[in-house]
Amino acid sequence: MPEITYREAIHDAMVEEMRRDEQVFLMGEDIGVYGGAFGVSAGMLDEFGPERVRVTPISECCIVGSATGAALVGMRPIVEIMFMDFSMLAMEPLVNQAAKARYMFGGKAQVPMVVRMPNGSGSGAAAQHSQCLETLFMHIPGLKVVAPSTPYDAKGLLISSIRDLNPVCFVEHKMLYKSKGEVPEGEYSIPLGVADIKREGIDITVVTTGIMVHKSLDAAEKLSTEGISVEIVDPRTLRPLDVETIAKSVKKTGRLLVVHEAVKTAGWAGEVMASISESPAWDYLDTPMRRLTGKDIPIPYNRILERAAVPQEEDIIREIRAVVKNEY
Amino acid sequence: MPIPFIMPKMDMDQESVTIIEWLKKEGDHIEKGEPVIVVETDKITSEIEAPATGKLAGLLYHENEIAPVTKVVAYVLKEGETDADLPSDDQSEEQIEEPSVASQESASSSTLDEAKQELNVVSEEPEEITPRVETPATPLARRIAKEESVNLNLIKGTGPRNRVQAEDVKAYISQTDKTPAPIGRMDLAGQTIDISIMRQRIAERLTSSYQTTPHIYQTVEVDMSHLEANRKLMNEMAVKEGLPKISLTAYLVRIVAWCLKHHPYLNSSLEENKITFWKEINIGIATALENGLIVPVLHNADQMMVNELNKRIKYLAQRAHDGELTLQEIQGGTFTISNMGMYGIHSFTSIINPPQSAILSVGAIKRRPVVVDDEDSINVRPIMMLTLAADHRIVDGVVAANFLAELVEKLENPEILSI
Amino acid sequence: MGTKKIKEKYDNKPTTDILNKADELGLTKENLIEMYQTMVEIRHFEEMATKLYALGKVHGTMHLSIGQEGVAIGTGTVMRDTDYLINHHRGHGHFIASDADVNKMMAEFLGKETGFCHGRGGSMHIADISANNLGANGIVGGGMELAPGVGIAIQMKKTDQVALVIFGDGAANEGIFHESLNMSAIWKLPVVYLCENNHYGMSAAVEKVSAKVPFTHRAESYGIPAYFIDGNDALAVVEFMQKAVNHARSGLGPVFLEVETYRWMGHSKSDRNLYRTKEEIEMWKKKDPIKRFENLLLEANLIDKTQIEEIDKKMEKVIEKAVEFAENSPEPDVKNLTEWVYA
Repeated sequence: MPEITYREAIHDAMVEEMRRDEQVFLMGEDIGVYGGAFGVSAGMLDEFGPERVRVTPISECCIVGSATGAALVGMRPIVEIMFMDFSMLAMEPLVNQAAKARYMFGGKAQVPMVVRMPNGSGSGAAAQHSQCLETLFMHIPGLKVVAPSTPYDAKGLLISSIRDLNPVCFVEHKMLYKSKGEVPEGEYSIPLGVADIKREGIDITVVTTGIMVHKSLDAAEKLSTEGISVEIVDPRTLRPLDVETIAKSVKKTGRLLVVHEAVKTAGWAGEVMASISESPAWDYLDTPMRRLTGKDIPIPYNRILERAAVPQEEDIIREIRAVVKNEY
Repeated sequence: MPIPFIMPKMDMDQESVTIIEWLKKEGDHIEKGEPVIVVETDKITSEIEAPATGKLAGLLYHENEIAPVTKVVAYVLKEGETDADLPSDDQSEEQIEEPSVASQESASSSTLDEAKQELNVVSEEPEEITPRVETPATPLARRIAKEESVNLNLIKGTGPRNRVQAEDVKAYISQTDKTPAPIGRMDLAGQTIDISIMRQRIAERLTSSYQTTPHIYQTVEVDMSHLEANRKLMNEMAVKEGLPKISLTAYLVRIVAWCLKHHPYLNSSLEENKITFWKEINIGIATALENGLIVPVLHNADQMMVNELNKRIKYLAQRAHDGELTLQEIQGGTFTISNMGMYGIHSFTSIINPPQSAILSVGAIKRRPVVVDDEDSINVRPIMMLTLAADHRIVDGVVAANFLAELVEKLENPEILSI
Repeated sequence: MGTKKIKEKYDNKPTTDILNKADELGLTKENLIEMYQTMVEIRHFEEMATKLYALGKVHGTMHLSIGQEGVAIGTGTVMRDTDYLINHHRGHGHFIASDADVNKMMAEFLGKETGFCHGRGGSMHIADISANNLGANGIVGGGMELAPGVGIAIQMKKTDQVALVIFGDGAANEGIFHESLNMSAIWKLPVVYLCENNHYGMSAAVEKVSAKVPFTHRAESYGIPAYFIDGNDALAVVEFMQKAVNHARSGLGPVFLEVETYRWMGHSKSDRNLYRTKEEIEMWKKKDPIKRFENLLLEANLIDKTQIEEIDKKMEKVIEKAVEFAENSPEPDVKNLTEWVYA
């Protein structure tokens, strides 16, 4: 199977869908000749022209609002927001218009749109360009939130997101763009709302997304030499969350650790832990559920501080060991 | 104020207990959490722990007496307190219900210094609450205890804050388990019995495999000195760290999995003129059950190190023994290992598990004299015989031989693989 | 003591000769009578809404457009069924002028299952997507977010539809005003921006919170043709709406229409009118768009007093029937509470 990058996978998903369906088009800043801030839309302007690869002014609120309007009348826009941090300027149309139109209008409207946004730290971009804010969108009924960790997941999930009839927040980790993975050549898609077991194990369930999946896999390999068997569950979709798969895993291992880059307070680890507490898996827990998350601080600029602000492989190893050895 | 020692209520409709024994007597020093009274309800015997550290005093109920639950049965004197501090009989009830009133009284009755001291003492005193859940235990421990009808209160917890963990309950159960009666040997002579579904299936599959798959067999000898030395060292370390000892099977799986990565034909399947080279390496371990055979599978065996494999193998073996293997745990195998070493068999052949294309039969390790160098010197070494059966439709003799050669090389020099 | 003048002169000439004007605009006598009737219908609807509220039958508040009927009828007459209406919270009039079923409107008002939004939206979110009515919006300026997108869709589908987005003087100070005008201008989107300048953004007088009125200046700075007209002169509204819509429809880009008008009632039901004087309200009541139109019709002998009374009674009945329909309709079933969140 051929290997492509995460960036290419997202690019291919958009290109294939735009070829298949005339209603699909892309809007965003610098997505034309520049090819997008992270190079994802390179070449698309040439193939699809300026109407369908629409370079916008710097007007996040209006960009997402327009996408909502276009979707309401039958189009399927994809919006590229340059950094997830900037989506704050577009919260209003996303939360008050896109998420609510269908319900407010008694089921008579639908808003099939995708808002893609890169999140994550590690590039030295500091406080206003490095946040992981997906939890804010998870809180809004009417929105769906997807966060792939591999090229295979990214392409399959983006295709499903574009075909979905609801507004989808598609979260891409900016440090994963150049990561590679196997992606089949034929047409395929991955349904939203289905988690993936990235590694099987029997001692502990680690629930994690994005770049933390890879750090967790590395940690698991190292822990394997100590006889600690780690199971890694990648939810892939955060809203709706596949609690069933997570619960099944926790039932098997009896231990849960949620690892996410997003900040601890009101981070989505709480949602996972509360859901497990409400599930039958609760009766199989042999130790308190734990979470390992980003610190409650804006992301600092200095390299060392930036690294210390979010979980790293050594933190994950240490935390898994502590949970398995009943230190809590 | 002396701390009231309250008899806890342990069952929904429980109203009293019979005191069987006071493990400590009046005036003895007791530690918080230490068992002090043995009591009996109509169902079980339990030990009641001290609510605080101090001197046991003011026993209100004695051995063979019936004591009410949720009421005071004794007191724990703190440092500096004496029997004189014990509340009088008719005061004891009020003391429980309005502790704040009592402390106010004591504060106002003395000089300022004494009052301060008493206030300090009062404020230091931890609030005595009787939690609804008596013994801290994990949800899993509770579930197992409930299923096995074990009283959690009898189990000593090894978790943090004396929490009862699942393994504590399991340990308790296994030590109180009566050793099962030895399996009597059925007298089969002269009987005709129906075969079980499991045996039927085994018969079908083996026959099919035997008939459709042309098997070739190749045998090699492996000098296990290095591997055994390695394993001995690892086990010494494991014992020191309280980890389980590592089985030979774990090593075998690790090395076989590694070799299969480089010999895809041995990890493949022929179906309708198409050969599928499986992406995953899932190694099945043939496991004997009382009345048959089952093959639990280690999925992605190539991604696990020996220690993890060891744990997974033991886990699967236990589940096989308990009859709890799930469908997922026996499906998807791409290669099988069958080990008869523990029965002293030096070599044997096996029938391939369809749709796999090979199976490795592992014999016992026997110390034998072998030629060890070019000068024909003889030395005694632990030798293990391996027999590989392969599907000759897709695995040629040379292909099988190459696999075995690599396998032998790695088994004899396991240091190459960071285990 | 009245409202401050927004601009010295209107861009329109006041309508004096209704027959001539109607000719110019391609309106027949029947059209004119229909227009008058609809204005009366709107007035009755809004007055009934107030009555229902006083009787405690309405949950929540309402934003009445009494006094602004001229704008509603002027735009409703010009817009085609295939055009898109993006409305704001003070939108009952626009909705009725676009031929919406008042029964369903009243039912939605009272939160009933038979309402346009099955009782999920209420006054502020009445929509009829299949009729290209993309809803009233509870967020000031919310419609301006959607408008360029609708324009993009029209352009890409290559139809001759137009999107009309209506907002008030208060919304003109939202950031989205600028983002939206800019985006429509750069891509020459078929969007008509209609600003109902009724002098007040809730309690804030427009000249106190807006640095330079009229807002046509702002639109002009984006290169968008802009007009400031008398919103209470129904035919003037028709005239400029036609101009605007034709411009947009022919692919020449967006147009900005600012119509001056006035609302007689408070912003919402909790408004005590402390920010304006009784005299001011009385002064504007004298400029009642319905009375004005009525007088023009009388002068031209297109209608007589009896007919006026008839129309009045007829519309009163229509609204009463709507209330009857709504009151007899069932409440939504709680069992369906969580439906329609996702498609």
